[in-house]
Amino acid sequence: MTEASEKKQGMHGALDDELVNLRTLLVSPEQQEIAVLKERLNDPDIRAEELSRVLAEAIVIRASKDKKLAQALLPTIELTIKDSVKKDPKFLADAIFPVIGPAIRKAISESIRSMVQSINETMSYAFSWQGLKWRIESIQTGRPFAEIVLLHTLIYSVEQVFLVHRETGLLLQHVAATEEGIKDVDMVSGMLTAIQDFVHDSFGVSENQVLQSLNVGDYTIWVEQGPQVALAAVIRGNPPESLRAHMEEELEKIEFEQRYCLQDFKGDVAPFALSRHHLESCLMQAKRGIGEAGKTTIPASTAKPARKRSAHDLIWLIIGAGIISLLLILGSVIFQVAGK
Amino acid sequence: MAEIVKKKVCMLGAFAVGKTSLIRRYVENMFSEKYQTTIGVKVDKKTVQLGSKAVELVLWDLAGKNGISEMRTTYLRGASGYLLVVDKTRLNTLEVGMDMHKMAQEILGKVPCLLLFNKWDLEGKWDIDDAAIEKLQRDGFETMKTSAKTGQSVNDAFELLARKLVE
Repeated sequence: MTEASEKKQGMHGALDDELVNLRTLLVSPEQQEIAVLKERLNDPDIRAEELSRVLAEAIVIRASKDKKLAQALLPTIELTIKDSVKKDPKFLADAIFPVIGPAIRKAISESIRSMVQSINETMSYAFSWQGLKWRIESIQTGRPFAEIVLLHTLIYSVEQVFLVHRETGLLLQHVAATEEGIKDVDMVSGMLTAIQDFVHDSFGVSENQVLQSLNVGDYTIWVEQGPQVALAAVIRGNPPESLRAHMEEELEKIEFEQRYCLQDFKGDVAPFALSRHHLESCLMQAKRGIGEAGKTTIPASTAKPARKRSAHDLIWLIIGAGIISLLLILGSVIFQVAGK
Repeated sequence: MAEIVKKKVCMLGAFAVGKTSLIRRYVENMFSEKYQTTIGVKVDKKTVQLGSKAVELVLWDLAGKNGISEMRTTYLRGASGYLLVVDKTRLNTLEVGMDMHKMAQEILGKVPCLLLFNKWDLEGKWDIDDAAIEKLQRDGFETMKTSAKTGQSVNDAFELLARKLVE
């Protein structure tokens, strides 16, 4: 290296030293602060401590802005629940017991009600004139009496189904079996809700008990209630409990599918059109004697094949017997008279 | 396809302020007034067109009461706004109206509401004067003068409320 460049390097070095000195002189206190901050940033304990101070508030703020936090936590929470159950199932079971209890009771009472309805139907016809006719039919066709009763009474048709937003009474969706329906379904939906409120208010019904059915003449309105929405079916005739179970299922599906729309519901019902098929599936009916239409099932007799003897045979039998006995009486009278 | 938004709106007011006759000609009705005496409410519908948006107001016309103690507050649940009707020829209907307003705000929070001074066609029989109305306006109330006989301002009232509900 030449003397000139060496000198230059030396000068640079000196300048550098001077720069460092200058820097220290000017910003020494700040440098120290930066050093402290750097230490804090790098120390995980300190960072955890800092974060812990704002964590709760941050969660509240974020949760109020959008749903990203819930989505982000979802996989973690699922795993946590899994682990909790693995570790000690009792813990979680105790926690959800208050919810499960009523759910189980409801399920049991529904199935008992279903059973009772069939028995009721059978019993009420057992000793009536109608019942007598049906007993004869049962003997003729070889089918159990209970089945004959159900066959003749289980005639119904779901004419309309409403999906109602419980809090506001607003109509979310409506389907009808035929084109001609009621004039304004929005108003009907409102009034239905008002009636429920009225009953609740007037008869001191407890908060978690809900209106389930209205009966007027030939019509029955069945209402299935979820936390946010209610499904109401306008039925003509005598509907089976299986319809109610189906309505419950469809309601649960709707509540789940539409949970986000329901949370933010501000009057826009267009998104609920996606759930129409659930309502349509409730438009069931069963026709007299023939069997099923739609999704209903009247239990078919699997026992013996039906003997094809019509009621006419019986009537002719009786008439025949009557004529014969008349002839016999006539005959014996003539005989007696002739004998004298 | 027009955008439709449905809103539940309540109509409140003291006994015989003329709520029902006021709106009768301007709303779609299906149910008779007897429902008000039986279950205490009658549901009507009014569709207001705001540009490309249609606002369907499902109106819960509550039976008029003479005090909030008799009011069925359950019917207010879920309402997006309400109309308060006052009979300008009877001062006490304003007091009752204010009580109902307070009750409604407690249940619903700060939702849009319109104060309607009805029976404006009855000239000279004014129990509530302009000064009282101005004071209410200063207090933040949106007011309107209406009359069932002349139909004055009824459609305007609905339109104004609908606008407030969607903004």
